[in-house]
Amino acid sequence: MTAQPDASPPAPVDVSLGLGKLVVPSLIGGLVALTLGVYGGLHHPTGVVVNIAGFSSAGYVKSWLATVATFFAIVQVGSALVMYGKIPRVTAPSWIGRLHQWSGRIAFLLAVPVAINCLYGLGFQTYSTRVLIHSVLGCAFFGAFTIKMLILPKRGLPGWTLPLAGAVVFTLLVAIWFTSAFWFFSTFGLHR
Amino acid sequence: MKLTMPLVTLLTGLALGVGVLIASMLSPANAASANGYGATAAASASGAVKPAPASSTPGGGASAAAPATSATTPATSTTTPATSTTAPAITSTTAPASSTTAPATAPGTAPAATASVPKADIPPKADYVARTDSGGGAVAISVHGGKAVAYMCNGHAVAAWLKGTAKAGKLELTGKNGARLDVSYRTGKATGSLMADGHKYSFSAPLVHRGSSGHRPPGLYEATATVHGVKIKAGWVVLPGGSQVGSVEYFADSNVAPTAQAPVLNLTTGTAQYDGVTLVASLISGLTGSGF
Repeated sequence: MTAQPDASPPAPVDVSLGLGKLVVPSLIGGLVALTLGVYGGLHHPTGVVVNIAGFSSAGYVKSWLATVATFFAIVQVGSALVMYGKIPRVTAPSWIGRLHQWSGRIAFLLAVPVAINCLYGLGFQTYSTRVLIHSVLGCAFFGAFTIKMLILPKRGLPGWTLPLAGAVVFTLLVAIWFTSAFWFFSTFGLHR
Repeated sequence: MKLTMPLVTLLTGLALGVGVLIASMLSPANAASANGYGATAAASASGAVKPAPASSTPGGGASAAAPATSATTPATSTTTPATSTTAPAITSTTAPASSTTAPATAPGTAPAATASVPKADIPPKADYVARTDSGGGAVAISVHGGKAVAYMCNGHAVAAWLKGTAKAGKLELTGKNGARLDVSYRTGKATGSLMADGHKYSFSAPLVHRGSSGHRPPGLYEATATVHGVKIKAGWVVLPGGSQVGSVEYFADSNVAPTAQAPVLNLTTGTAQYDGVTLVASLISGLTGSGF
């Protein structure tokens, strides 16, 4: 985060003007989600994806990457709470901004190969409720993340926009993790 | 637009995504699609070991371990625990202490230990079905000449197709993901155990007698279809008395196929309705040779 949320942004002169700045990022984010979903739906799934040495299958690679990404997402929420002063008796240390930035970057960059493997190898699928939810949320996540990144440097937005965007991104990622890695580990066993 | 750090993050992700996508497209795994139980043991034994379904990694450089999941290759599957040394934690539970000779790789050598079993007690053609002793699963085994096919599922996430050779009253069948079956069979029943998804299922399966009464006989049923572009493979173990246990695998050719409960197999029509598609099940029988 380059913007320090608690650095008292200038009070919006016009709330509608501030919200207007959300339009373009939201459209771009929606386009990202839509593009991923359409690609996943149109591309013929190969069922075969790249694997990484030391893992028994691509499913495990993805599950572990997603799990680590979710861990960093939890760090995201924790550091954000500290930055916003929502944790009683905890003053934000100087490095909290960097922690928030880097945990977010790592989580995002871990999630990208997982998503590509899903979209390329499996595609957008609807054959069960879990899979449908996972497909929809997976596409929505990258749209929501795009929106959050695009509104991050903007000044003059209402104070609730960033926390809301962050909460949506986090909630999506956790829901994605539950409908994939959690299911995978509980089905096939917790190992590499 | 000014290049801000969040934008750099997004663009980095985009570049990474494109990179992984290209790596996936170039992956040799795509050329050699993982074939499941379709390949015969003899064919894979004589042929070259197929390429590991992942030799390119996003990071490059690191050579991918041949996953233990390419279990249709007898050379690896019959000795799965030993060969998958790069992933020791994965299939260690499947390690049977008695790693006997691989049946597919050495078809000519009859194990001396089993030579004492009277040949008359070993049916050349037989079908066995039973529920597993635990785990709520069911298993079906069909022996036809020197070949055997087995299927085990629990009606949920566990499903394993296995195949191999039948010799001197013993079956050592293998399947994907380290699935393995070790059974002794006689004219009365087949007893032994099966490893699937890291769990061991024991059973004692009686011989199936074909009592025809208009219904489909007990045994092993299989159906494949493409539903909404996804190749699915369903398997049902139909038990004497008509009860059944069935699971369906999605992306049936992939190494770890997501598995769920199969739709009910109608034993009068031999069909099942799945997501608006009629699955036509075929009987795999050692007695009649169908499916072999």
